[in-house]
Amino acid sequence: MAVPLEYAARETVANLWRNRMMALAAVLTVAVSLSLVGTALLLRQAVSRQIGQWSDNVSLQIFMKADATPQQLGDVRTMIAQTPQITRCGYLDHEKSYEQAKQVLAGSPTAIAALTPATTPTVFKCQLQRPGDAPTVAATFNAGVPGVYQATSPSRSIHVLQQVTNVLQLILLVIAIVLLVSSLVLILNAIRMAIFARRREVGVMKLVGATNWFIRVPFMLEGLVQGLIGAIAAVVIVLLSNIGVGYLIRHYKISVFGAAVLPTHDLVMTELVVVLIGLVVGVAGSSMAVRRFLDV
Amino acid sequence: MIRFENVTLSYKGGAPALEGVSLEIQKGEFVFLVGPSGSGKTTFLKLLLREEVPDSGTIWVAGRDIGALSRWRVPYLRRNLGCIFQDFRLLPNKTVAENVAFALEVIGRPRSVVTNQVAQVLELVGLGQKHERMPHELSGGEQQRVAIARAFVNRPLVLLADEPTGNLDPATSQGIMKLLDRINRTGTTVIMATHDVGIVDTMRRRVLQLEHGRIVRDQARGVYGYTDEPTISGRGMRAISLLDTSGVELSAPGLPTGRMATVRARRGER
Repeated sequence: MAVPLEYAARETVANLWRNRMMALAAVLTVAVSLSLVGTALLLRQAVSRQIGQWSDNVSLQIFMKADATPQQLGDVRTMIAQTPQITRCGYLDHEKSYEQAKQVLAGSPTAIAALTPATTPTVFKCQLQRPGDAPTVAATFNAGVPGVYQATSPSRSIHVLQQVTNVLQLILLVIAIVLLVSSLVLILNAIRMAIFARRREVGVMKLVGATNWFIRVPFMLEGLVQGLIGAIAAVVIVLLSNIGVGYLIRHYKISVFGAAVLPTHDLVMTELVVVLIGLVVGVAGSSMAVRRFLDV
Repeated sequence: MIRFENVTLSYKGGAPALEGVSLEIQKGEFVFLVGPSGSGKTTFLKLLLREEVPDSGTIWVAGRDIGALSRWRVPYLRRNLGCIFQDFRLLPNKTVAENVAFALEVIGRPRSVVTNQVAQVLELVGLGQKHERMPHELSGGEQQRVAIARAFVNRPLVLLADEPTGNLDPATSQGIMKLLDRINRTGTTVIMATHDVGIVDTMRRRVLQLEHGRIVRDQARGVYGYTDEPTISGRGMRAISLLDTSGVELSAPGLPTGRMATVRARRGER
């Protein structure tokens, strides 16, 4: 079962080099498709941060005054319960509201500095039966209800932005999946050619009693390396484009998109997902080839 | 050492390649398998290697029922069985020493052991001076010696030889047989499928004769004992033409000369 690491590494590198054109094709396809996957994921995160307060179909927000009394809070709850157009409401207390404010205001650090949990208004986030009713319902809460600071509904542009993003993301993901499938096939074919090029060696190995894993591992590693290199290329591409976008936002002070600048944590998670997909594609392609073409 | 109990194997849709074969081979024996092409010699060897599994019957090798071996154990069975072939099956891009070393490396032997054993076995087969040669620089006899070195370097219990002298001239064949005999004297069981009348008749070892998948003769200190007929249906042969009464030419355009039966044509017969 134990496969000497040095042997496997040597064989893998030799195989990759012998088959370098095929390997390059496979790696490039993986890189392009995973760049699209990464871009689609980041795009979604950026947009949802930007319009974060309106995510999850929230179409009405009722901000309370920071110093609203529990009595006033209770009254507003009752009022919400008696409004038939509202289907569901969630309540963000001072702490949660502060967290959200930090996200929304990520582009302007001075605004965040001015806030504390205690001074951040608490908010009801509500879903409506028909989002089109939002302005009417908002108006009833803005008509001098005690404790209510302001009720707002998303502007039309946010709806458009949401829809455009969804479509864009869908297109990117469809293209990415098609490319991922073709990179799987390319890796499978690259490994098949490697197996064919080494059929004499494989024959002798079987004859003298090399274990099945000993014979398989170099080929599997070859696919894994192709997937990995492609994924790393994709990670670099996505990172560079993210840096580019961030620079543009800062340079032209497009503060509206301030929230679209992603924190490191989100970026790292996305890149990990990209690398993982690359590895899975590589291993899947080479296992299929080994299963079908390596008769051990 | 090796025991066949009523072993039968049919390839898909054909007559049985082996039928009801029962026999026993002791440790250290030298056994010739003879019989016309298609009589089941190669199938016999494949069964021992577990490249094929019998339809019925049991095969014991070194006290193990090899039909009951799980897949992952088959390689360990093969480490006890050395194998040589008519076409040598050397790796053309490796030197003599690398070819032999390969057999040890791929079963995970440490490098110090490999270097040691390879030098020893190459000395044994008489290629001590040719470590760094490539296979294509060697004569057929020398290539077969490399193949024997590779099969024997792991000191297997059994050496299986499928027509090892099929591609060699009589003098060279004799050298190969001397080597196999020497290996046999170290206690290694040798099972050799052959069509070489001269070799079988001079060695006088146990002879198993197969015909249509059945054992028709099992003779200690036996002889070849039958006359192969010129076959046109033999594997790898496209055409045979008898040019004159003194000689027979076998031609196989575009194919390596393979598996030529020893042909005896009597004067006057065409």
